[in-house]
Amino acid sequence: MTAPARRRDPLGMACGAAAFAVAAAFAVLVAFLAVEARPVANPGFLLEMPSRMADGAGVGPALAGTLWLALLTAGLAVPVGVGTAVYLEEYAPRTRLAALVGSALASLAGTPPVVYGVAGLALFVRGLGMGPSLLAGGCTLAALALPTVVVASRAAIRSVPQGVRLAAYGLGATRWQVVRGEVLPAAAPGMLAGVCLAFTRTVGAAAPLLVLGAVSFMTFAPRGPADPLTSLPTQIFAWTKRSEQDFAALAAGAGVALLLVLLAMNLAVLAVRRRMEDASR
Amino acid sequence: MSAPPSRTDAVPALAADDLSVSFGPKTALAGVTLSIPRGRVVSIIGPSASGKTTLLRAFNRLNELTPGAVTTGAVRFNGIDLHGGEVDPVEVRRRIGMVFQQATVFPRSVFDNVAFGPRASGYGGDLHELAEEALTAAGLWSEVAEDLDAPALALSSGQQQRLCIARTLALKPEVLLLDEPTSALDPAATARIESSIHALKRDHTIVLATHGRRQAARLSDLTAYLAGGELVEYGPTETLFTNPRDPRTESYLTGRIP
Repeated sequence: MTAPARRRDPLGMACGAAAFAVAAAFAVLVAFLAVEARPVANPGFLLEMPSRMADGAGVGPALAGTLWLALLTAGLAVPVGVGTAVYLEEYAPRTRLAALVGSALASLAGTPPVVYGVAGLALFVRGLGMGPSLLAGGCTLAALALPTVVVASRAAIRSVPQGVRLAAYGLGATRWQVVRGEVLPAAAPGMLAGVCLAFTRTVGAAAPLLVLGAVSFMTFAPRGPADPLTSLPTQIFAWTKRSEQDFAALAAGAGVALLLVLLAMNLAVLAVRRRMEDASR
Repeated sequence: MSAPPSRTDAVPALAADDLSVSFGPKTALAGVTLSIPRGRVVSIIGPSASGKTTLLRAFNRLNELTPGAVTTGAVRFNGIDLHGGEVDPVEVRRRIGMVFQQATVFPRSVFDNVAFGPRASGYGGDLHELAEEALTAAGLWSEVAEDLDAPALALSSGQQQRLCIARTLALKPEVLLLDEPTSALDPAATARIESSIHALKRDHTIVLATHGRRQAARLSDLTAYLAGGELVEYGPTETLFTNPRDPRTESYLTGRIP
């Protein structure tokens, strides 16, 4: 057999060029960051405390803060978000109220992060007396992630073929058995993708945390949710406001650290998703 | 509810009484009254969208899972009103089993598929024994006995449909509702399923919705002809096929209505 003749495919070429441009832009971005961050490229940078002196300063507390925030956000947003999605799709009667809740969630997903910061300041920091702590930050970021988690999870649940539900109900399964045994496992990979998207947006957000009162000079790494609020994005923001060239290197280094955290999270989600898909095959 | 007649044979396995079902503005069934005698095979024939599927789903309360479905009239199972307040639809579906037009196996092993219903209802006996029995009755045992842990999705489409039949049989239902079980299959797979249905006649009441007029003639004792959600004619298969009373039935049988 001969190879198929190559046909002209302008749309395919245009799409390929677009994909290449995106990859190139990303590579340039990372390269610039890396060059900028070269002065701080040493393992100690990830562990050291920030300092008034650029020399020897590190992102230890900020990195720990971001990891705490990720943990708190996941722990709050995933169960509440997935639960809401399951309720709206599988249990709630198809009433006007349910439709209203659905469109309200969709608009919340488009609300700017800084607005969540203002609400979080009033509700968590002051109202519930959490102060500018990691817990208040986690609650605010969870609220920010929640609509995206719900919207994406609903889409994933809706994409489960109706035939699967009918087959299970037809075999005398209860609603709980259908949801737990069939719908959730089939929707899980799609839900994870949504959770991942919500997370990337949330963990990198600086604005809401700045509004809450994040600190950028800490002499110890936070050890629990009650410790002061600090994170990589707010640390980057604080350093970029300094005029000295050395602090630009620190900001770039923190940027690289943030990208690495997000990359690690995405890879972890991808691995879990692979395993889920293999298990359902 | 009126007092049930004393002879159980006189109580039909299933009965629809002035049954109407609509989905939003669309009427799927309009005032259907018919009874399915115990131990018989009854075919429901009719063109697409004539209400065959809706009638079958009314018999085990599956229509109510579709948002906007409204059912009026009565459906009785062994004389009991299925929409009575104390009737649990989950229990109904365990006793009146259903096989769908599209074989939808769960993405798990062959064994787990057959064990699904019994596990859902908390069956306490030997699942392996039950699975072998159900797979044998569905005519699939010899083909899958070697590897019950194989993924169900690896089976051919004909085997998947027989697995769906086995899965339903594992519930030990009194009535089997088969919704065009062979419409997506080739003639060889169809023949195998038909021979399984033949074997199942002995212990089950069977309601078979089918597109195939010849399939209805081959398999059933009684045949009902539905058109546009209405029951046009119902009677012994032979009479209906050789000497239909209604001209609409005749034109359907002679192929003038597709």
